[in-house]
Amino acid sequence: METLGNLAFGLGVALSWQNLVYCFIGCFLGTLVGVLPGIGPVATVAMLLPFTFGLGPAPALIMLAGIYYGAQYGGSTTAILVNIPGESSSVVTTLDGHQMARKGRAGPALGISAIGSFIAGCIATLVVAYFAPPLADLALKFGPAEYFSLMVFGLIAAVVLARGSVIKAVAMVCFGILLGLVGTDVNSGSIRFAFGAPELADGIGFVALAMAFFGITDVVMNLEHTDKTDVYKDRIGSVLPSLDDLKVSFWSIMRGTGLGSILGILPGGGALLASFAAYMFEKKIAKPPRHFGEGDIRGVAAPESANNAGAQTSFIPMLTLGIPSNPTMALMIGALMIQGIQPGPQVMTERPELFWGLVASMWIGNLMLLVLNLPLIGLWVKLLAVPYRLLFPAIFVFCCIGVYTVDNKVFDVYVLAALTAVGYILIKLDCEPAPLILGFILGPMMEEQMRRAMMINFGDVTIFFTRPLSAAFLIAAAALIVVIALPSMRAKRDVALQE
Amino acid sequence: MRIRAPKDFWAGLFFIAAAAVFMLLSRQYNMGNMHRMGPALFPTLVGALLAGLGVIIAARSFAIDGPPVPRFYARPILISLIAISLFGVVLAHFGLVAAVVALVAVAAVASNESKPLEVAGLIAVLIVFSVGVFAWLLGLPIPLWPEL
Repeated sequence: METLGNLAFGLGVALSWQNLVYCFIGCFLGTLVGVLPGIGPVATVAMLLPFTFGLGPAPALIMLAGIYYGAQYGGSTTAILVNIPGESSSVVTTLDGHQMARKGRAGPALGISAIGSFIAGCIATLVVAYFAPPLADLALKFGPAEYFSLMVFGLIAAVVLARGSVIKAVAMVCFGILLGLVGTDVNSGSIRFAFGAPELADGIGFVALAMAFFGITDVVMNLEHTDKTDVYKDRIGSVLPSLDDLKVSFWSIMRGTGLGSILGILPGGGALLASFAAYMFEKKIAKPPRHFGEGDIRGVAAPESANNAGAQTSFIPMLTLGIPSNPTMALMIGALMIQGIQPGPQVMTERPELFWGLVASMWIGNLMLLVLNLPLIGLWVKLLAVPYRLLFPAIFVFCCIGVYTVDNKVFDVYVLAALTAVGYILIKLDCEPAPLILGFILGPMMEEQMRRAMMINFGDVTIFFTRPLSAAFLIAAAALIVVIALPSMRAKRDVALQE
Repeated sequence: MRIRAPKDFWAGLFFIAAAAVFMLLSRQYNMGNMHRMGPALFPTLVGALLAGLGVIIAARSFAIDGPPVPRFYARPILISLIAISLFGVVLAHFGLVAAVVALVAVAAVASNESKPLEVAGLIAVLIVFSVGVFAWLLGLPIPLWPEL
């Protein structure tokens, strides 16, 4: 009952007309940018961040959440119509979604994706509302040692569940941590690793980092390969799936939602893992084993529901523990910090309007996406026709202006250029940027918690292993590494992530 | 000895170099002790870990096979870096309008599909949009014109 009361309170916050407007603008802009091929949600959120600077914390966060869902949905539209996943979590949607489009069923594919996402969003909102408060209560009992170990666990889990080589990903985390330490050390006041530039006293801007690694480098990579894309040109027709379609996909949506909600809470999970897992699961249990990969509607319904559910429940660790489970959540934390809020379990008790307003706006945002997207499909399709040669200079302009407006410092634009160079080299060497962003956000927090833990315990390092919860996190992290190092498991993981 | 996984080899070297930079810079700061950790301690620990991982990644590249390092295309990356840096320089001295012109005009060179007339049109659209949205609608404090 308490949950319902809280949700009602949140609805009261989110339903104020101005928050509704911000939620709407967020969803609209998020979809608008997310539809553009080659721009994922991280780049979208980073690019649209300046739009929230003038707002208070609650409307800013509500708008950002809207941008995030919009970007997710926009990515699916691109996946179905152009066969280019706008983001990694819609990769599996391209498999059956684009096949449906080629068979003239683009409308129902887009429709089921919107409906599945909406149902998943509704259920996942309830999951967040029910599970976040007890988790925050638990987190309030954490001491610095527990926090430190939890962050280690979170980073390792994120790395293990992500794609690519684990050892390189751990190295990227470490590099990210070091980059995060640039700037003034809060304890001693000394400016570290500033390379003689006083502008770096405040540290490297996380917006610049995110844009460099997820925005500009992507553009540069795209410019290197001028592939002809297979844009869908026919009329979309009705987006409403038939009753039969709905019947076939109902349980797929439910299973996708369930899987997505669980996987979204895990560190490193979020939308990407959720959509892969849901697709694999549907493919396995489909009876009769129909034509997965040839345009089966369940192959769209399940991953789309799962990625939306996962996108939503990944807010749980962010809101309750202050720990990002994926790069988008890392950006959200950065955005909160710009607003002067330190994310963590205390947010729920100290700023209930922020927390419950956001949770309620998740649901409203999903509803808005449903009413916004189905009628506006035609507009999104037109956007897809914009040639890349016109798109990419515009992306540059928005990234540069966005980076500048964070602090009104021209220096940050140079940082953007420098980080782009670093990101370009790393991506060429197959080093995934996501772990680096997580390390960047968590690095300073880890140092702080470790310092506190050592301070209270007179420099006794064994404290991390003698406090039960802390030991449990570290053992879990070690177990993950061992499991992933086993050759048989590694083969399985590679297969699962490759398909 | 032959490098069998060139991507890993260079990635390993990159990590070792990055770790070395941070660990060397850390030496200027106070190390403290485990009880009272100085500003140098945590970065040194993480740097050591990164260096260790870098050595493993580089060493492993002699033992396992991996794909070659893909080609670096000079034009897109260099032009992009120049365009972005130029945006900063021009913005500082001549304001947003001139900076957008410079950024788009230079960035367009990065793609061989750009056409001069189209780029001119794009510049006009982006100036109107960025001035309209960022400066007027959102009221962000960006200098628009050169200060006289």
